[in-house]
Amino acid sequence: MTELDPVIHAQARLRVMVALCGLRPGDQLTFPRLQQLLDMTAGNLSTHLRKLEEAGYVRISKTHERRTPVTHVAVTSSGRAAFERYTDGLRALLAGQQEGEGIADR
Amino acid sequence: MLALIAQERAELGRRRAVSPVPTFAAWGLAWLAGFGACYLAATGLLPWLLAGLVLGVLVAVAVVVPIVRGARAASGVRGPSRQLGLMYGLSWVAGPLALSAINSGLGAGTVPWTASAMFMVGLLYLAGGMLWRDLSQYLLGLWVLLFAAISVHLGSPGNFLVLSLAGGGGMLVQAGWLALRGRR
Repeated sequence: MTELDPVIHAQARLRVMVALCGLRPGDQLTFPRLQQLLDMTAGNLSTHLRKLEEAGYVRISKTHERRTPVTHVAVTSSGRAAFERYTDGLRALLAGQQEGEGIADR
Repeated sequence: MLALIAQERAELGRRRAVSPVPTFAAWGLAWLAGFGACYLAATGLLPWLLAGLVLGVLVAVAVVVPIVRGARAASGVRGPSRQLGLMYGLSWVAGPLALSAINSGLGAGTVPWTASAMFMVGLLYLAGGMLWRDLSQYLLGLWVLLFAAISVHLGSPGNFLVLSLAGGGGMLVQAGWLALRGRR
């Protein structure tokens, strides 16, 4: 049985990945918009984004728009791949459980 | 966890306002009731003033819906889809403006007016279907184009009935289909 990616297997980071993977390739979200969509505090979101960035799953770019700093967040291609591996892993895990225990409730 | 992902996706879709369902529903209703009223007016069952009012109010609402939703969907987003959305939205401004100028300039009667409007809407749905890779929207475009051609042969007041039932009805079916598909 393959291990589930621990970077994604935490509810907050999973939610971030779902939000970012839901964007079309090449699209980025501003930090405040992502925060608002996920109902997370800025501190909490930055902590989880940093973990995802360290794993190479998200790219964080800081720019300036009319002198005010703006932070954009996007998923990387390896982040998308990791998310797919994660969901595939979950499905495989559930299928294995059903076979093993005869549970078919999901 | 899989259920959580699905639930999260649905919630994000709602918050980001990316679903075209309200837009199709608003325009479908405007065409169904608005042009339905025009048909009744053309057959003498309703005063034209009332039909014009119904159509005007419903179209005004239908114009606002995609603008508000588009602005919400685009907020905080940078990248290719923002530009795509803007270009597609502006097509819905440029098309009707040019068409109105052409039809007024030609002194067109109601049948060429309604047929050409359906033709333009059909083509824009084809474009929308291609842009968002939405087969149902593409099929709606083909459907509207077919009835644009048919409406010319029916003449007036049958053309209003085509706009109302085939046009507005088609848009409402599309809205319903997308809503059902989104819930799955």
